[in-house]
Amino acid sequence: MSAVTVNLTWVPFFTLFKKEVMRFWRVIAQTLLIPLVNSTLYLMIFGVSLGKSIQVSTDHPYIAFLIPGLIMMGVLNNAFQNSSSSIATSKFHGDLEDLRTVPLTHMQIVCAMSLAGMVRGFVVGLVTYSVGQAFFYVTQNDWMIIAHPLALVFFLCVGGFAFSALGIAIGFSSKSIDQLSAVGGFILLPLLYLGGVFFPLTKLHPFWQALSKVNPMLYFINGVRYGVLGTSDVSATTCVFFSLASVLIAFGLAWRAVKNGPYTRW
Amino acid sequence: MANPLEITGLTKTYGKFKALNNVSFHMEPGEVFGLLGPNGAGKTSLISILTTLITSDGGTARIFGVDVSQDGKSKPLVGCVPQETISHGFFSVEEVLHFHSGYYGIRNNQKQIDFLLDRLGLVEHRDKRVRQLSGGMKRRLLIAKALVHKPRLLLLDEPTAGVDVGLRTSLWSFVRELNAEGVSVLLTTHYLEEAETLCKRVGILHKGQLFKIEKTQTLIDSLTTREIHLKVAGDLSGIEHPRLVEKKGGDLVFKVPSHVVVGDVIRELALAPERLLDVHIREGSLEDAFVHLIKDAQ
Repeated sequence: MSAVTVNLTWVPFFTLFKKEVMRFWRVIAQTLLIPLVNSTLYLMIFGVSLGKSIQVSTDHPYIAFLIPGLIMMGVLNNAFQNSSSSIATSKFHGDLEDLRTVPLTHMQIVCAMSLAGMVRGFVVGLVTYSVGQAFFYVTQNDWMIIAHPLALVFFLCVGGFAFSALGIAIGFSSKSIDQLSAVGGFILLPLLYLGGVFFPLTKLHPFWQALSKVNPMLYFINGVRYGVLGTSDVSATTCVFFSLASVLIAFGLAWRAVKNGPYTRW
Repeated sequence: MANPLEITGLTKTYGKFKALNNVSFHMEPGEVFGLLGPNGAGKTSLISILTTLITSDGGTARIFGVDVSQDGKSKPLVGCVPQETISHGFFSVEEVLHFHSGYYGIRNNQKQIDFLLDRLGLVEHRDKRVRQLSGGMKRRLLIAKALVHKPRLLLLDEPTAGVDVGLRTSLWSFVRELNAEGVSVLLTTHYLEEAETLCKRVGILHKGQLFKIEKTQTLIDSLTTREIHLKVAGDLSGIEHPRLVEKKGGDLVFKVPSHVVVGDVIRELALAPERLLDVHIREGSLEDAFVHLIKDAQ
């Protein structure tokens, strides 16, 4: 066997990215159908049934307020789950060690896995948006027009990337599946629900309003709401600033996790 | 040309436990080198350092002159078959090999993948998901993964543990073939007869220390004896010899150093030729030498 020419530039990065995308595509029922069912239920219960008696703004019906929140909730949740569950299953199967022993750099691993998670989040966001449009049409007899498409794409991408990177950090530091589920259930889910998915910030007690301002979800959710509706509880500039700060912190945590491991199997 | 492996003063500690204590040795180009030792001797720690899975606490390890701690530059030069089998839940055998090629920067590696699938008897399993494979098949996949990028140094960490005879035989013939093509091999194994057949030199690692490194045959010759069994007709009671250790039925058992010729022993006995019915010789093995060394070390 003669030694092959080894191209160490983009091929390893794209290979890992492709593998991570193929991974969630293989379990499409989990990755897309469950979010589809969830958003349908949320829209039926909160958007249609309870939404009739909820007034959050004079400009938009409640369902228009709810849809951007649900889109971002799906994006953040799925981006996080993609990378964290990928690492968890690899730790379980024992193939996480491959990432350490092959010539992938830490930067390539973080970027490839975060981008793949972002793609999954984006696809789930698109599905939620489509379901939301259908509900909006049925209840309002009109289509929901996106006010700032570029802002919407920006917040979806930054949010998806940040939470996917966070998933890498949590996936590596978790010592069991239970620990990983606990982080999702006890920390991320409450933060998501309290980040303004279902209600505006102004409806909260001033104490909780002040506390919510340190919740990064608030800025991602309001950023998307600004992109879809053109208005939000927090100014678009503030949302951009906090979203970028969050993505930098999440990236740093993911990079440190990839550098230090552990890569050993559970 | 730089040596495939050059290890100097390698040390690794886990808490208070010293897994590797100032280990130094080198491999010659094209050599099959056996690293032997009981469980917990430090073999897997050493291999994990070479694959960058863990970092050493001291010393250096160079692969073809490249320090393993140097930004992963040594990684394309090495292929490793780990001790434990692993799974890849979502993907097929062939997909795993394509991904692994991609990690090494190889875009279209179909020819090499086809060669490995064929050589390792995985062709009919190429579309199966890895979790559907038996333990032996998973181990074949690990070997294919280690060779997908055509490494110049192959690390085999007990590759035949729990593997049936058929696979073992075909694996060793494949390793010989690779070695003939210039691939250097570092082997750790509990099957010492395999190491004896394959390795030109062996190192004995015990409690983290490499306390013997020698040509395999020299080690066997210096630490073992050959056993000569002579079947002799008639009464044995009058037969005496300084190397005679046992009289069993019609058999005389002698233990002699490996350089002692059988003919000399027979001549010294001065037996009538018609009394000598049969001769059986059992040479000392690497296992005997290993047991001798480990006993001494304890």
